[in-house]
Amino acid sequence: MRWQEEDIDLYIGAKEYVDTLLIPLMPLSMDDKFDINKLTVQGELLTIFANEIEKQFKGRIFLMPTYNYMFNEESSLELTRLNNWVDKIEANPFKHIFLLTLDHQWKKHERDLAGNLLWFPAIQSGNVSSKESQVIIKDQINQLSELIRSYW
Amino acid sequence: MSEKKQQVSRRQFLNYTLTGVGGFMAAGMLAPMVRFAIDPVLQPAAQGNYQAVAQLDEITNEPQRFDWTMDQVDGWYESTVTKSAWVYRNDNDEIIALSPVCKHLGCFVSWAGSEDYPDQFFCPCHDGRYFKDGENVPGTPPAAPLDEYEFKTEEGTLYLGKAKPKGGVI
Ligand code: FES
Repeated sequence: MRWQEEDIDLYIGAKEYVDTLLIPLMPLSMDDKFDINKLTVQGELLTIFANEIEKQFKGRIFLMPTYNYMFNEESSLELTRLNNWVDKIEANPFKHIFLLTLDHQWKKHERDLAGNLLWFPAIQSGNVSSKESQVIIKDQINQLSELIRSYW
Repeated sequence: MSEKKQQVSRRQFLNYTLTGVGGFMAAGMLAPMVRFAIDPVLQPAAQGNYQAVAQLDEITNEPQRFDWTMDQVDGWYESTVTKSAWVYRNDNDEIIALSPVCKHLGCFVSWAGSEDYPDQFFCPCHDGRYFKDGENVPGTPPAAPLDEYEFKTEEGTLYLGKAKPKGGVI
């Protein structure tokens, strides 16, 4: 389910069935010293992953709007803010909280995160919609959904 | 084609009007009304067509999943959506095309998705199950059978239309 009127009605009537929260973490930057190109490709991929997972598991996963932050080498500030976010949401009982990202910096903080980190390496080639990428992406999505199911 | 052109100009017109009126406030107030107003016009053009989904000789007695994409207009959003169906031939050699969307809360079901029930559709979210013909297994969360796609066949190709509720036993 998503953060939209139609789904919220459904969610309110079926809260006990929706026990899993998915939060995509997407870094942004306009700074030339980073590879902005790569960041946008990763951003697109993240959105594709999140949407596909939501579609497959609509009845059990609530997809939060994407958590955006400035891409930076020093991410401990974000860590506090994100954990805060999750804590607030956790007051509404979700049994499983997944943080989905392609930003490897979160990997360093995995132990301190208030949720299960699902980190995925990005495919390197630029075009997300090319035939080859699609095959790889499909495969990654399958792995991702299996991983999520293994927690249930 | 001409219908398509009309849609665009209609949308542009609305866009201009909204931006003209000014800002998000107005857009927020108008959105529900506008959506109500354009929906009936846009729906028939974007949906209701049959899409080529599979070759008839690919279809076996075992349900297989076929995916296809189509353009969809939904209020403000215009997008390419991927649709899926579980397709097979039943014992009377009739084609059955079932929607994979679980009637409980909308997860995707898969044929033989659970090792324990190799001849049923299984929903991974809350263990909902359906028999091969799409009827929901009593005692599992879903309260209705899987929707069934309208279909037609032409020159060896299967075309699917809209998924319709089967309205069988509860
Ligand atoms: S969504 Fe399929 S059983 Fe709940």
